[in-house]
Amino acid sequence: MKAVILAAGEGTRCRPLTFTRSKVMLPIANKPMIEYVVRALHESGNSDIVMVVGFEKERIMNYFGNGGDFGVHIEYVEQKQQLGTAHSINQVKNVVGDEFLVLNGDNLVSAETITDITEKHAGGISILTAARADTTGYALVNETDGRVEEIVEGLRLSDVHSVNTGIYVLNSDIFGAISDTLYCDDRGEFGITDSIQRMIDRNYAVHAYGTDHTWVDVMQSWDLLNVNARILEDTTGSVQETVGGTIKGEVAVGSGSIVREGSYIAGPAVIGRDCEIGPNVVIAQSTSIGDNVTIEPFTYIKNSVIFDNVYIGSHSTIKNSVIGENNVIESHFVTESGKDLLIELNGALYHADEIGAVLGDGNTIGSNVSTAAGVLIGTECKIKTGAVIRKQIPNRALVV
Amino acid sequence: MHWWFEMCGIVGYIGTSKAVPVIFDLLKRLEYRGYDSAGIATIGSSIQTFKTEGSVDDLVSITPDLAGCIGIGHTRWATHGVPSSENAHPHCDNAGNVAVVHNGIIENYIELKDELIGSGHEFVSETDTEVLPHLISEYYNGGLESSVRNALSKVQGSYALAVISTDDPDKIVVARKDSPLVLGLGDSEFFVASDASGILKYTKNVIFMNNGEIGVISREGVEITTMDGARVENKVETLEWTAEAAEKSGYDHFMQKEIFEQPISIRETFSGRISSEGVNLEVPVPNARRIVIIACGTSYHAGLFGRYAIEHFARIPVEVEIASEFRYTDPILDCGDLVIAITQSGETADTLAAIREAGSKDSHKLGITNVLGSSITRECQCILTRAGPEIGVAATKSFTSQLAVLLLSAVRLGRLRGALSAADENDFIYELKQMSANIRRVLNCAPSIRECALLFADAEQFLFMGRGANYPIALEGALKLKEISYIPAEGFPAGELKHGPLALIYDGVPVIAIATEGMVYDKMLGNIKEVKARGAIVIGIASESDTRIAKYVDYVLRIPDTDPWIAPVLASVVLQLFAYYIAYHKRCEIDKPRNLAKSVTVE
Repeated sequence: MKAVILAAGEGTRCRPLTFTRSKVMLPIANKPMIEYVVRALHESGNSDIVMVVGFEKERIMNYFGNGGDFGVHIEYVEQKQQLGTAHSINQVKNVVGDEFLVLNGDNLVSAETITDITEKHAGGISILTAARADTTGYALVNETDGRVEEIVEGLRLSDVHSVNTGIYVLNSDIFGAISDTLYCDDRGEFGITDSIQRMIDRNYAVHAYGTDHTWVDVMQSWDLLNVNARILEDTTGSVQETVGGTIKGEVAVGSGSIVREGSYIAGPAVIGRDCEIGPNVVIAQSTSIGDNVTIEPFTYIKNSVIFDNVYIGSHSTIKNSVIGENNVIESHFVTESGKDLLIELNGALYHADEIGAVLGDGNTIGSNVSTAAGVLIGTECKIKTGAVIRKQIPNRALVV
Repeated sequence: MHWWFEMCGIVGYIGTSKAVPVIFDLLKRLEYRGYDSAGIATIGSSIQTFKTEGSVDDLVSITPDLAGCIGIGHTRWATHGVPSSENAHPHCDNAGNVAVVHNGIIENYIELKDELIGSGHEFVSETDTEVLPHLISEYYNGGLESSVRNALSKVQGSYALAVISTDDPDKIVVARKDSPLVLGLGDSEFFVASDASGILKYTKNVIFMNNGEIGVISREGVEITTMDGARVENKVETLEWTAEAAEKSGYDHFMQKEIFEQPISIRETFSGRISSEGVNLEVPVPNARRIVIIACGTSYHAGLFGRYAIEHFARIPVEVEIASEFRYTDPILDCGDLVIAITQSGETADTLAAIREAGSKDSHKLGITNVLGSSITRECQCILTRAGPEIGVAATKSFTSQLAVLLLSAVRLGRLRGALSAADENDFIYELKQMSANIRRVLNCAPSIRECALLFADAEQFLFMGRGANYPIALEGALKLKEISYIPAEGFPAGELKHGPLALIYDGVPVIAIATEGMVYDKMLGNIKEVKARGAIVIGIASESDTRIAKYVDYVLRIPDTDPWIAPVLASVVLQLFAYYIAYHKRCEIDKPRNLAKSVTVE
């Protein structure tokens, strides 16, 4: 049975980070999110993978190639327009067999999560569900004795807590239902749940199986922090002779990276290749630092994700923040952190437990810049010395 | 009588799978070396040979499904004469018992051919290679290896060859002299190719054969001996390039992929070589009295840039020579000179010959190359550019990595000679560390570069001009455009225009002016005025914060603000994209421009 990973979408709710890469390529502990899906598939014995790619597909294809380095075989199918999951799955019609597994590239899963559906699957269509106390934003799966009666999007049913994980075993009958639903939906997006619902309505056997294993969804950019912290718990320390200073807990440092004297790194943390850190830098728990990052003296970073090619000047404090690729940040940059914030994104308000700032790619930030809690900064902005950022900054803005 | 100068690729396979599909795959990956005819031979009950003029795809269409698990193949590129299926490899002896594929030149083939004809051999092609199978069958003595050894003892010239024979049917015999040859070691299957990129899909374990070695490959393994028959220990190396790196990854062309890979490739070039403590790079003889840089094509342009950089940072006089000229000018060299040879492939015949010449004059030698294990790495100490495999014939990422290595060398030499202060070095390294991010910023502007390029896609000619270190960038920009879009384009030092090239300017001629700050900027503005006054349409390449340029030019393509010595690298990325989009619009064969081959392994 082939495994289909849906990886074509941009993930607009993860902007500004997804202006320049698709959501599945956001780094968690220095590996793209989708790599965890590929690894889980490999561990669960599913090595024949089809990736549906679209937005920024080159990054994905460049990273995985034919899958050889990951012990799997990957073929790619392009979804040219992002028209929802049904349309996405429709693209694999000619490359999958009678039955196939479907997963999202932006949900972290473990091998056990996958076997929870593949081992129980017994014909027809299977849906993997997970129990959630707060079901906001998920599709609910209403079942009786494992037989699915209804999949409901965007509604709260007070007594239902089984949510759809988006992991299915489908069979080729689905393509008929997809073509029935594809062109009759006026939302402009065609969800696979609509197609499955159509099959349920025709008394097709659709079963739900629950999982207690890892299934983590990154919805907004700041969710990256929680997921990163969680994955970092599995870090095994590995430090070479170029690493000076004090290392506590599990810290993995990539080849060619230098950590200079007087620095203090508290794991779990990962640092990529060719970084130069310190002297006298503090990197506190749950921080991931990408490749080719320079961090100057007396800077403090905690619970943050720093992407590749970032320069951070001296005397900066970065907490609970996500810093995109290619940012140049001069000295005395401070991110304020706040709890229980409501953040506006594409015209809607979303809740964040705890957040500092989220910076897109390629910004140039002068000395002594501060950001208020929950600020999102776009890509390629220029922020001049001494600015205090209190609201969201669009792409390519100049802030004086 | 034709001399057949060849820039070919040879491949071979022995193993447990059918040979034909593997050979086709290997050949396709070598096609960038040359592609005007191709051929294949396998051993079943007899040797079966199929060959055709045209590409590997043409060969696939005429070759039936063959069962043999041993085979050899060839793609060739001829500089003279018409390609034909007779002249295509593999070549066989009269009985059809021996088949040979060959890359290189047999210099004494006319005498050998006369002798062989005298003893009754009949020839069907005009190639030098055809003497090889005849020689092997003439000297056949019961074993293929010793027969090849005997045959090669009569041969003068260069070769990488692979031989199969029905008389000794479970092996491939290979040999190398002055043409590259790599063996791949898989799981009870073995591969032969002219360069490693073809084999990487199958195995990362390879042996680079040395000059004067003969290898016997059977399903049991590889045995290598010298010409004299002395056993050589197998030196297996593990390559880090992944096979996927040689695929297109969703890009339309390898060239496009390679342009967009530059933020990563440049990081590889710098990896472990720069930190706040300085440049960490081993550069020989900092007290050299003079540096002579030798290269061809794009590498020559990098060399010109290197001259400006080394003279600026290290204050050593530098000369830059085109390798094919240098060799024949009776060069004046002595032990006070450092000769730097730049070659992407490490196999460029003229450059290799030039570095040997330098060695014979007791000069110090340094190579700059992209390919680990290539011939130049055996000739002298080398700095690897680490740009990764480059498939597109038009060099892109290998060029920017060459520029980066030359900047590092210049800074290192400057420090060693005391011409550059530690603080200035540190400032420069701060900018170098951001080169990757700045290249990414240029790539993010690809849509506007494309828009500008398409306005000029129908132009009949282009002029490129720059001053100082931007002059070589102008030459390279013109070369890129010529190579892939076939539009005549010339690069000039901007100050030289009024001494001739200005006559080329007429109403509406596009002129690309590289006007980054620091490289005699004000004079450059003056030169722009000169061409504008004569009707040229000027496209300026300038820094983001440059507020003056817009008044002087018709279009501005911006690069991020950076050090004056890094700006030329960013400008060259702009020009790569500019050329790419014009060629794309004109539907040119971007990855395989007509008449060009990737690595020129003959003179």
